[in-house]
Amino acid sequence: MTFNELKDRVGGTVVVDNPEAAISAAYTSDLLSDVMGHCGDESVLITIQNHLNAIAVCTLAGIEAIVLCHDRPAPDDMIEAAKREGVGIMTTPLSQFEASVKLADLAPAKR
Amino acid sequence: MAPSEIVRQAVAAGMDGIALTDHQSARNTPAIAECARRAGLKCLFGMEVQTAEEVHTLALFDTVEQALDMTDWVYAAMPKRVNDPETFGDQPVVTWDDDIVEMEWRILAMGCRRTIPETATKVHELGGLFIAAHVDRRNHSVLGTLGTIPRPLVDTEIQPGGGLFFDAVELSRTADETLWLPKVEGYAVTRSSDAHNIDDVARVWTEADGEFSVAGLKAIFAAKSTRISPRLTSF
Repeated sequence: MTFNELKDRVGGTVVVDNPEAAISAAYTSDLLSDVMGHCGDESVLITIQNHLNAIAVCTLAGIEAIVLCHDRPAPDDMIEAAKREGVGIMTTPLSQFEASVKLADLAPAKR
Repeated sequence: MAPSEIVRQAVAAGMDGIALTDHQSARNTPAIAECARRAGLKCLFGMEVQTAEEVHTLALFDTVEQALDMTDWVYAAMPKRVNDPETFGDQPVVTWDDDIVEMEWRILAMGCRRTIPETATKVHELGGLFIAAHVDRRNHSVLGTLGTIPRPLVDTEIQPGGGLFFDAVELSRTADETLWLPKVEGYAVTRSSDAHNIDDVARVWTEADGEFSVAGLKAIFAAKSTRISPRLTSF
């Protein structure tokens, strides 16, 4: 799935584009230690964690895109880091559950 | 932000005391201890512990040794991953006169596996103060992450002296106290700069009558007699 397809699925608003993303798996969590322990490559992270550390975890885990639920805004330092690290960010008005349902055909992301 | 600069800035701003609380590490407390000693500035030594709940808490101690013991305990429960300075920034350990001794290899940006009850107990066993950090923030705060200020639920969690986990709560430099004080009723409130840049040192503060030490602050917190500075409305 491309970043653009992801956007259409969750009704997202792109904050940081990632046209190179090839997303085959998804993980939903708001505990970043849990994300780091379980989420793997080619994945999208569905979360409300709108801060810099979320990008750090993406870099470590191989996550290519973040869907920020409930339209949580991405702060500037998060946006900068995402651009630098090549992580896409979009916001959606959906909850984590609703966004997950929209992406239910993706594989569960695994390490 | 070198320890010598922090001390210089704090002295220039008229502070009586400061606390150094780097994220997940107190390895720079020996350096600031020496800077503060030379400047005649009181200093508490500690760290900002990111707990298993991904909540930021402050552990404050009278001595560098206590703060370093706390660091060892937190390090033992940190992910064993090597820091990438390009991604997360450098993590220098420095001397009082600004030489870099080494680069901390762990990723300090991460949380540790110690829970709030475990961390509170450890801090109190070591003779320190435990403070809920920037409770007004949505991320990494007790209220933002857990929705409440956790309290001991079972007898084994009750802290020395019959107390709660937290000795006080901290408001960030921009928190509107009229909004936040009602949400932290029952706790002594502090405000501190949480300075990440030298220009932010001492821009907000907390006043109280008493001694700037763990015992002094414990008494002040018990009496809830802190007075916080005005918040910053622009920066």
